[in-house]
Amino acid sequence: MLRDSPRSRTVLALLVAAAVVLLVLDARPGGNPVTSVARAGGELVFAPAAAGVGWAGAPAVTLYDGLREGPRAAARVAELEEANAALESELQAVRIDENRADQLDELLHLSGLGGYEVVAAQAVTRSTARGYAHTVTIDTGTESGVREDMTVVNGSGLVGRVIEAGPRTATVMLATDVKSAVGARLEATRKIGVVNGGSVPGGPEADLTLELFDMEAPVESGDRVVTLGSHEGAPFVPGVPIGTVDEVQVAPGALSRIARITPAVDFASLDVVGVVVAGPDGDPRDSVLPPKPEKPAKPKEEQ
Amino acid sequence: MRSVATLILVAVAVLAQATIVNRLPFEWGPGPDLVVAAVVAVALTTSPASAAGCGFAAGLAMDLFPPAEHVVGRYALVLCLAAYLVALVRRNTGAPGAVGSRASGWAAVGATAVTALGVGLGYAAVGLVIGDPHMTVTAVATGVGVGTALTVLVSPLVTLPILWVRSTLADSEFATVQGPMSPGGW
Repeated sequence: MLRDSPRSRTVLALLVAAAVVLLVLDARPGGNPVTSVARAGGELVFAPAAAGVGWAGAPAVTLYDGLREGPRAAARVAELEEANAALESELQAVRIDENRADQLDELLHLSGLGGYEVVAAQAVTRSTARGYAHTVTIDTGTESGVREDMTVVNGSGLVGRVIEAGPRTATVMLATDVKSAVGARLEATRKIGVVNGGSVPGGPEADLTLELFDMEAPVESGDRVVTLGSHEGAPFVPGVPIGTVDEVQVAPGALSRIARITPAVDFASLDVVGVVVAGPDGDPRDSVLPPKPEKPAKPKEEQ
Repeated sequence: MRSVATLILVAVAVLAQATIVNRLPFEWGPGPDLVVAAVVAVALTTSPASAAGCGFAAGLAMDLFPPAEHVVGRYALVLCLAAYLVALVRRNTGAPGAVGSRASGWAAVGATAVTALGVGLGYAAVGLVIGDPHMTVTAVATGVGVGTALTVLVSPLVTLPILWVRSTLADSEFATVQGPMSPGGW
């Protein structure tokens, strides 16, 4: 059926024979000159061609690899990003927890020294509708025993007082608010006065200003001020550190002596605070104050 | 003219197979076989003896190019026989006509598919005879199956252009007037 010319068959037979000879030659163990020379020739052609293709095809190979790895790489990137975010938030949480723990420790220390019974709370927000008043919102309320006119402290000293208490939140007027006036007493000399938020007329620009009623009272920068305490401990319990006298203004003819007070509390970074729900049995006097710094001439903000 | 063009095209196919296709990291194993596709195109338009020579040369080139993972002559033997058989069948059945008449595209692709299958099986058979330890049933089945499918996929890009070149050049040489038994030429 399949006809072919004898010559054609001869050609085929020759080629097949050549192939078989090559097969047998190359399949035998050990090298032989025919196939090794032939392979060397093939390599001679192949090597530059392959190098050229490799050079020309490098971008295509990169693209191909990128495409092939693309979905996997995207998945990997997403996975790593997720892990990274989880680790980051964990780290942040650890840092915040450490910070809170430190502040709670300080608060406990202060309340233990003064014999105050405190409810810990967290300052949630400092924003007010217009930004005039210095108030913060804390996350405890009447359900935790917080009432109006309770003293709010943190580990460093006086924060302010509760002016409004809801079931779960309370509003605290900071001591730096201009409406705030805290009865104060100088450490050691026991001279009394009032610490007002902001500046008083005729006084220096300040966060807190101390007005001493006794014109002759000796007061110097570096003297520390604690709360005097109110009747029945409301709104202020006695003995809470308020701040340090920074600068005394000598105004001839003034009715009172005015001093600028550096607050003991860093009002810019309020976090953990405590509401004093029960005051001490007796006035703790100066026992809540931290040990006097070595150089009272250069008073630093405590803590 | 025709033979030179064919020589260049087949050489390009061989080089492309050795340097490009064999370089691509296919996860499933074998890639398309451009050499088979090119040799089929030549065999469909020439005499059996010339087809056998073409197949032998292309196969021998593939044998000699790195990687030298199989013995020299194995691919040459298989391709030589395959090209001869394709040309012989083409000449004797002569479905749409004698040598030189334009083969239809579908027929060429079909011939490529059958040839790729046969070449794959023949290559495996030679391996069995000379004791290649790679020749297991599953390896051969997947290799031949996937390889044939990929070769069929690329054959429109290789077989049909070569067929077109050869037919176009043949027309100007009046090759179509040759008889069915003529030895023909490249």
